[in-house]
Amino acid sequence: MGNNTLSRFMARQSKNITQFWRQFSRNKLAVASLFLVLIFALIAIFADFLYSYDFVTSNSLENALLKPGQTGTVYYHDKEITHTFILGSDNYGRDILGRLVHGARVSMIIGFATVAMAIAVGGLLGAIAGYKGGLFDTLIMRVTDIVLSIPTILMSIAIVAALGNSFFNLLIAISTSMIPGYIRIVRASIISIKDQEYVEAARCIGASDLRIVLRHILPNITSPVIVQSTLNVGSSILWASSLSFLGLGILPPKPEWGNMLSEAREFIQYAPHLLFAPGLAILLTVLAYNLIGDGLRDALDPKLKR
Amino acid sequence: MDKILEVKDLHVHYFSNRKTVRAINNLSLDMQRGRVLGLVGETGAGKTTLALSILNMIRAPQGKIISGSIRFDGKDILAMSKQELRELRGKDIAMIFQDPMTALNPVLTVGDQIAETIFKHEKVSKDEAWAKAEKMLETVGIPGARAKEYPHQFSGGMKQRVVIALSLACNPRLLLADEPTTALDVTIQAQVLDLMRHLIRTYNTSVLFITHSLGLVVENCDEVATMYAGEIVEYGTVEQVFGNPLHPYTRGLFGSLPDYSEGAARLRPIPGLMPDPTNLPRGCYFSPRCPHVMPLCEELHPTHTSMDGHLVKCHLYQENANVEQPI
Amino acid sequence: MSNNPSELPILQVRNLKKYFHVSKGTLHAVDDISFDIRQGKTLGMVGESGCGKSTTGRLLVRLHESDSGSIRYDGIEVTRASSKEMKVLRTKMQMIFQDPYSSINPRHTVASIIGEPLKIYKKVRNMQEYEEKVHQLMETVGLADRLYDAYPHELDGGRRQRIGIARALALEPQFIVCDEPVSALDVSIQAQILNLLMDLQDKLKLTYLFITHDLSVVKHISDDIVIMYLGQIVEQANTEELFRHPIHPYSQALSSAIPVPRLNARKERIILKSEVVSPIDPKPGCRFAPRCNYAKPECGEADPVLREVMPGRLVACHRAEMFV
Ligand SMILES: Nc1ncnc2c1ncn2[C@@H]1O[C@H](COP(=O)(O)OP(=O)(O)OP(=O)(O)O)[C@@H](O)[C@H]1O
Ligand SMILES: Nc1ncnc2c1ncn2[C@@H]1O[C@H](COP(=O)(O)OP(=O)(O)OP(=O)(O)O)[C@@H](O)[C@H]1O
Ligand SMILES: [Mg+2]
Ligand SMILES: [Mg+2]
Repeated sequence: MGNNTLSRFMARQSKNITQFWRQFSRNKLAVASLFLVLIFALIAIFADFLYSYDFVTSNSLENALLKPGQTGTVYYHDKEITHTFILGSDNYGRDILGRLVHGARVSMIIGFATVAMAIAVGGLLGAIAGYKGGLFDTLIMRVTDIVLSIPTILMSIAIVAALGNSFFNLLIAISTSMIPGYIRIVRASIISIKDQEYVEAARCIGASDLRIVLRHILPNITSPVIVQSTLNVGSSILWASSLSFLGLGILPPKPEWGNMLSEAREFIQYAPHLLFAPGLAILLTVLAYNLIGDGLRDALDPKLKR
Repeated sequence: MDKILEVKDLHVHYFSNRKTVRAINNLSLDMQRGRVLGLVGETGAGKTTLALSILNMIRAPQGKIISGSIRFDGKDILAMSKQELRELRGKDIAMIFQDPMTALNPVLTVGDQIAETIFKHEKVSKDEAWAKAEKMLETVGIPGARAKEYPHQFSGGMKQRVVIALSLACNPRLLLADEPTTALDVTIQAQVLDLMRHLIRTYNTSVLFITHSLGLVVENCDEVATMYAGEIVEYGTVEQVFGNPLHPYTRGLFGSLPDYSEGAARLRPIPGLMPDPTNLPRGCYFSPRCPHVMPLCEELHPTHTSMDGHLVKCHLYQENANVEQPI
Repeated sequence: MSNNPSELPILQVRNLKKYFHVSKGTLHAVDDISFDIRQGKTLGMVGESGCGKSTTGRLLVRLHESDSGSIRYDGIEVTRASSKEMKVLRTKMQMIFQDPYSSINPRHTVASIIGEPLKIYKKVRNMQEYEEKVHQLMETVGLADRLYDAYPHELDGGRRQRIGIARALALEPQFIVCDEPVSALDVSIQAQILNLLMDLQDKLKLTYLFITHDLSVVKHISDDIVIMYLGQIVEQANTEELFRHPIHPYSQALSSAIPVPRLNARKERIILKSEVVSPIDPKPGCRFAPRCNYAKPECGEADPVLREVMPGRLVACHRAEMFV
């Protein structure tokens, strides 16, 4: 009997998942985007097999600013190799494709991890402020206002300076700047939803506060959060590069897309391809995330199910 | 009696989600000058759509008047230019919308709103328009001095009266009242209807009175039309329809009412729901819910049968009556 | 309210008050009301929009905290019940909400809405029992089995309201607050729901507080009636008595204003003055006086108290004797 119940439960869950996937897969663009993000992730994971890290960070000035497809001679580990620069080289003669591949590691992590952290912290605080109201609300919102009134750049510098210059602290600095946005969005959505009669109905059937927030409120505020987070992924990658420009977080010669983009700016007239490669990578990531977000939102909305 | 409004073979469709909502299907209806016609029917029957069509306010891409004609005082509304329509709306035909709050602009005083309508449609100076606006408010029982107040300073019933004053400001010849009192409670509803009756008598206005409430129809109307799935299934004077309801749907409506002065233990609702307007049945639209359904009903769509002007669209009455032109 | 001692009240409300603090002052939503509800009967609560009916209903099931007064349900004081006691009380008192659209969560399926109370209270031991119970509840309220996994937006108002009723019944309560359960529905669907509520009452011996502003509905369904005006009870009586002979001028106007859907039933209407009285910091004196056709200067001086002017008839009016 118990076994039977378990199998029924499993059947129902797997049915839900299949249903979700069927729904999501109706949006071809979203599926394509998911595929793209997976490829980027695979590239990031296997970056070392594609290009060695030392290779993409060592200078070879004689190969500076090569056009895509040109070949050059590189001295690497005291050996002379003839190398084809598929996407050309930068002003230090480093392979752009190689830097892009290694940069994917850093940039993808920054893009997703900061947003995820901001959603977790901002969502929780926003949920408490919106649902509990009263003193909690006042306290959380006033602190948010204070945080917002400090220029973001100062904030980030202060955080990195206080915690020390490491990759993880960079993530904290970036996501802190995004947290107030999520607090506000989540709080506003919760306030508009918590007076709906179905929330009162849930209280009436004895649901605990936690259950009400998790089962009844959060699922109904996914769309604004998804929209906000798709905007944030791109900006956090660029934000990281601004910080590294100031000497915080990711420092050259470590490859990172935002960094590559800002370095390339100087050469826009002679070597526009330097700009295109990282720019396109960021653009594709942001776009893909946007489209996945759209697909996710639609797949989660029962009104669009069929 | 002369006709003020003649609707013939009207078809109106809405388009949503790649589906066609057949909101009005082959509807014909006449209204006489100076009379009040009650239009009843359940949610989604197409009552509001009919009123909007009369003002030629169905707009692409959501909806479209597919075919048919609507003549007001002999003039074809569907053929009018934008300029002619603007003059028609508000001046000759006025509408009271289902929700009074949507008809009032929250940032203008009620006096301004009424005066503006008068100024737009009549050859008067601004001062004269304002004076007339105050007079209109007084006719609906609101002191003229309150004309300088904003809508939010009035209660629901008073707002509804302002809307009525607004719609009657230019003495329209036809008033389309779409559930004017549903949002109000009975004591305020009584006030508003009392006033409307009085104004109708004074100005000889014709009214299309849309409502869910059969009680309001019997107290306020001269004729009644029952609407179901976008067509008129029964039409007659209040005496004819209430004295002897013919169509099974009209009878069903009566059965559903917890009639205040009768001690019936159980209500007798019509079973089931109105058919999906994107997918109407082939025969009579009411046949899936009808207690008297015959094989014929599922095959053939009935036409109107007339008995002394009491029209009904039902196969039950088809054989023994002379088939007339549809109204 | 009843003369028969065997019909004990299951719910006793005494001097209940609920004020809201709004920017313009204190809004007296429920201002010192007392009433009883007899076991297995329906108490109808009528009054115009904003007079405090929903607030009263919510106070009874403790969705609002009262400011003062007492609510005794079956001997337990609801206003001071601990959260543990409240948890038990919730299985006995439930509520059906006014708006069938906003009262059910658009993201949950029919089954998960109806079954949620069963999960919260662990009323079922396993999935199979859960599914059986949900199917059984759906059958009780007349929802087809095929709707088990449907989402609310696929359903019309009448079916949605049935979901709300099934959810309220899941814990097998004895008392249900019905807050205008049919106001948003069409006449024919309204009739289906009213029939269902009355059948359930017979079958499960339920007690209802039935809130509405539709007098013909309240007359049909309730045994006793209270009429509210601006946060206070102005009249309270047995349904039949009240409709035969309304005493309070507001009740008279209400009862005269009911439209009757029959020929030649036209009757004299009492048309009230259209003064508006705000529930925010109301002045002393009778709150109905500004609209009352019989008001005397003294009506504006002291608050009228609800008193028995005839056996079984409670009225709050200074001049009640005039109408007896
Ligand atoms: N803009 C629109 N797009 C698509 N369908 C619409 C639109 N407006 C109305 N409909 C559909 O057309 C039909 C008729 O609607 P209408 O508003 O005329 O009904 P009604 O009789 O006025 O109902 P109610 O009593 O609820 O006001 C309904 O099925 C409705 O869902
Ligand atoms: N949370 C709240 N905060 C402030 N005022 C409130 C609140 N809830 C209700 N009120 C006010 O209390 C009064 C009574 O409201 P309530 O909802 O009980 O009325 P009601 O009789 O149920 O009306 P309706 O028939 O419109 O549902 C109203 O004036 C309303 O504006
Ligand atoms: Mg309508
Ligand atoms: Mg209410």
